[in-house]
Amino acid sequence: MATVAAAAPARLPRTERQRSVRRHLLIYLGLTPFLVIAVFPLFWMAITAIKQEPDLYRMDIVPFWFHLPPTWKNFDFLFHRTSYGDWIINTMSIAFWVSAITLVTAVPAGYALARLRLPAAENLGIGIFMTYLVPGIILFIPLSRVVAILGFQDSWWSLVVVYPTITIPFCTWLLSGFFKTVPFEIEEAAMVDGCGQLGALLRVVLPVSWPGVITAMIFSFTLSMQDFLYALAFISVSDQKPVPLGVATELIRGDVYFWGSLMAGALLVGVPVAIVYNLFLDRFISGITGAAIK
Amino acid sequence: MSQLTAGRHPSSGPPMAVAVGGRVGATRWWRTPTARRYAFGYTLLAPAVLYVTLLVGVPFLFSLYLALSDASVGSPVAQFVGLENFKAALETSVFWVAVRNTLIFTLGAGILKGLLGTTLAFLLSQPFKGRRVVRGLIVIPFTLPIAVSVLGWKWMFDSQFSVINWALSHMGLIGGYGTDSWPVWLGQPTLALLSVMFVNVWRGFPFSAIVLMAGMTSVPPEIIDAGKVDGASFLQRFRKIIVPMIAPILFIGSAFDTVFTLSDLSVVYLLTNGGPDGATEILPTLAYRTGIAAGALGRGAAISLMLFPLLLPLIVILLRSLRRRQY
Repeated sequence: MATVAAAAPARLPRTERQRSVRRHLLIYLGLTPFLVIAVFPLFWMAITAIKQEPDLYRMDIVPFWFHLPPTWKNFDFLFHRTSYGDWIINTMSIAFWVSAITLVTAVPAGYALARLRLPAAENLGIGIFMTYLVPGIILFIPLSRVVAILGFQDSWWSLVVVYPTITIPFCTWLLSGFFKTVPFEIEEAAMVDGCGQLGALLRVVLPVSWPGVITAMIFSFTLSMQDFLYALAFISVSDQKPVPLGVATELIRGDVYFWGSLMAGALLVGVPVAIVYNLFLDRFISGITGAAIK
Repeated sequence: MSQLTAGRHPSSGPPMAVAVGGRVGATRWWRTPTARRYAFGYTLLAPAVLYVTLLVGVPFLFSLYLALSDASVGSPVAQFVGLENFKAALETSVFWVAVRNTLIFTLGAGILKGLLGTTLAFLLSQPFKGRRVVRGLIVIPFTLPIAVSVLGWKWMFDSQFSVINWALSHMGLIGGYGTDSWPVWLGQPTLALLSVMFVNVWRGFPFSAIVLMAGMTSVPPEIIDAGKVDGASFLQRFRKIIVPMIAPILFIGSAFDTVFTLSDLSVVYLLTNGGPDGATEILPTLAYRTGIAAGALGRGAAISLMLFPLLLPLIVILLRSLRRRQY
């Protein structure tokens, strides 16, 4: 852009600048409604979470700002009057175990599919990915029986068992794509140097594929905060719930909604997840749609 | 492991010859590098394959079995009842309401997401200052956990203290609280269905846009330049070059999104729980209420399996596109 402007006759830069300003204005104008719709709910939740209760129920004044000083009371309420602490510990434990199970199974599987030239590797890979497309709504009723048989009903361990059915297929697919991009020569060199196939995987291929491994880990870790269906179907005991389910079911007593604490509890987990997800979004998307794009 | 196995040729010659040689060759077939590589490979694959077979494949078959039985949470011993559950479901009016709502919801929301996503993708694919920031903000709906954002919407749709109504009434578009023109978003049948659709669209349009943008950057600029040189107008370039190249991507993106939309219960469950009076009942919420909340496993499984005919074509399309991906 700059070099073009510099090379052009002296009069041109100004008109080009004007054109660029006009173009920017048009683009911003077009984007504004999208931005407002996308961001407003988050703003509204955040301000609700730190407003005092009486400030929430005033329709006669502008609701977009504080009329009483902001407060942390809603967060206090969460930690002292509900099982929120338990929900966080449950969520983190589920996330930890799900990522561990996923990595231990999906890393080797993705590697085998991408690297070992197995007969039927392509069909196996597609077969594994297909299970990602069988949605929870078809599986949650039979899985509720499976969970009961395993003795995990009303326990967060039920979700540890079930979430890998989503994360293993997705991450195997994602990782096999990553492993394909590692040059064969690196692996060959390692094997010439005396590594076995397993040694080459652990010492050479994994270290250079860490972006893929991290992406798979993040996907698995955040899933336990994204899911709602399985948690709702399997767990009805308060102290076993993960955060999204706990917030959505325990902060509503009959017709009474604790809006301030509801928003506080939802955002405390929602915002970190959204930030992390945002950073990895492109990798997740290319994982599932690499299909039509390549 | 010899260097042979590291070669890129699928059929490694020498080991085969040894295998044919049989008794003469010192190396048995199961000790050839190829065989060992296969054994290694299938060992690595086994845990993942077993996991999804046991917890997706088997439960899927189990749900077929449940749907043909009168299993319930209370009575562990189930009787085979044939197609009774399906018949019973088809005979209730709430089932047909749920089917109708599921179709309206999925199609309506799908079209809106496609339109909004395309518009947004075109805007975002222009070079402008602050593009990364704008993009990061606009994908917020998709990145927030669904239960979290739906709770936010529930508060914004509150019957009395809705911030949307506050804004509308201050703009003079609606009357005050209690008047006829005060919309109760989740309490009036048509409005409730529109509201749950809106929340689904709100969550999904950034996904459509991002998928499309990834696709648009893959349209080689040379092709568009060639079009320009050949004197094609903007509209012609758009119709003859860009649309045909991005349509498949929009299609794949929509298919993915539709699979998720068809199987999502949280928006409806948390906003209206199917109400008012069944106006927003969809198959997932009906299956949950029947199979889990009421404990009629067989009936619930039958209802959720009714989603399968809707899902199957999408799954087939997606798998085909994946097959084209890498090989």
